[in-house]
Amino acid sequence: MDTVRNLIDILSVFVLPTVIIGFPLYGLYKRVPVYEEFVEGAKEGFTVAVTIIPYLVAILFAIGMFRASGALEFLVDGARPILTLVGIPPEVIPMGIVRPLTGSGSAAIVVDMINQYGEDSLIVKMAATMFGSTETTFYVIAVYFGAVNVKKTRHAVPAGLIADFFAMILAVYVVRLLFG
Amino acid sequence: MLNYIWAGLIISSLVFALVTDARDLAQDTYRNGQALPVVVAFPEGYDPGARRQGVEVRVDGMAVAELYETDAVPTAQYAGVLLQTQDGQQLQFAKDVSLPEPLATIRSVTSRRNNDLRGRVELAAAPGESLAEAAVVFTPVRFIKMSAISQAAFDFAETAVTIILGLIGALALWLGLLRIAEKAGLINLIVRIVQPIIRPLFPEIPKDHPALGMIVLNLSANVLGLGNAATPLGIKAMEELQTLNPVKDTATNPMVMLLALNTASVQIVPPLLLVAIMGLQVNQLFFSIIIVTTASAVVAVIAARFLGRLKGYRDSDPNRTAPSAPATP
Repeated sequence: MDTVRNLIDILSVFVLPTVIIGFPLYGLYKRVPVYEEFVEGAKEGFTVAVTIIPYLVAILFAIGMFRASGALEFLVDGARPILTLVGIPPEVIPMGIVRPLTGSGSAAIVVDMINQYGEDSLIVKMAATMFGSTETTFYVIAVYFGAVNVKKTRHAVPAGLIADFFAMILAVYVVRLLFG
Repeated sequence: MLNYIWAGLIISSLVFALVTDARDLAQDTYRNGQALPVVVAFPEGYDPGARRQGVEVRVDGMAVAELYETDAVPTAQYAGVLLQTQDGQQLQFAKDVSLPEPLATIRSVTSRRNNDLRGRVELAAAPGESLAEAAVVFTPVRFIKMSAISQAAFDFAETAVTIILGLIGALALWLGLLRIAEKAGLINLIVRIVQPIIRPLFPEIPKDHPALGMIVLNLSANVLGLGNAATPLGIKAMEELQTLNPVKDTATNPMVMLLALNTASVQIVPPLLLVAIMGLQVNQLFFSIIIVTTASAVVAVIAARFLGRLKGYRDSDPNRTAPSAPATP
């Protein structure tokens, strides 16, 4: 396991420099005016970023208000009886609900849980597995669709949330199986 | 769906803020206008003429618990200042001291900028005395949640722009590199190699289309945990997919599939943030994360494919609503 891990670590360190240097080198070899083309492409960076702003503001301020209002605690309390029924410990439920909404918020939850239950506890491992295996769904949706000005997202949100929900439940079972 | 979730977030935050504030008002959680008994110590003796004198404030835990009907808090002593103002005497706790609840909340609401708790004070002290009983009345606290949600709205709007500003550099770098790769024919090469594996997930993308190459680069960056490369590559993939989209404001099936794969975040390297939080403990979670992330990616793919076939989502498919209108250049 350690060798696999080391190999992947080394790979992920070397991939970036290889690409950053490799693309222009290959371009040179193919007689592309590399500098001119780079600048031409990079120009777009600013406009794309600015295009995303309204989408991200819309999503983030709504989530921020929701968090500040205390509605989150209520949602957690409401979900508790259903989720404990399928064997999810009540302590990790906040993580499952916050994860798709905010990255910083869910990181804060992991930190709190470590302080409260200790790094070696099963529930911290569950929460950290949830954190590591999913993404901040609403952020990704705002950024990716915002970049191309797509407002009607169709089934992207439900598909993402279904996967998140599944990951939350699976994280509990897998951690129990591996460490329990 | 996003319309309802978005409206739901805003409406429920309003409702919950109102309910919480109404409850606080009804129960008078912060005992507005009522006095908290404290003991004020004057290290140099009480001087009634001084406009400003340093004091020590002893807050009895029992008194706090009794007034606010909370659990007992430890008794503690705080540095403070006694001010002579036109409206009488004012007691100011030192900045940033650690206060028990609900005093900490009262401070955070009434003195957001200075972070010092203040209140009108009635002293029972004679000149020269070094200890005196006193009663402090804090500034009334009302509608905490209502002001908190509007504050949060502005804070997060600002956060959104900060995030995007941080993205501009990485985005420009990657878009520049990708432009070179496109011109050099590298993307076409990648497309030809990975096409057989990746195209079954994106059947709507025409054969040999560069979008497939961008998608593969985005997914590989995700797998290797290269967060700051994955986002720009994903954005570029979305742009390529958008060129195939006949209805520009509506997501196509391949877009949803790409999003599903990204939100499920297939990765074999734990995210940097988690490494920063947990340190080496993360190594233990290596396998659990891989199992969960892979399985949830499979679920995401199935969900995206299956939901796309449901009637409502099928009818809104841009490629069906405008079947014979390919993207015009």
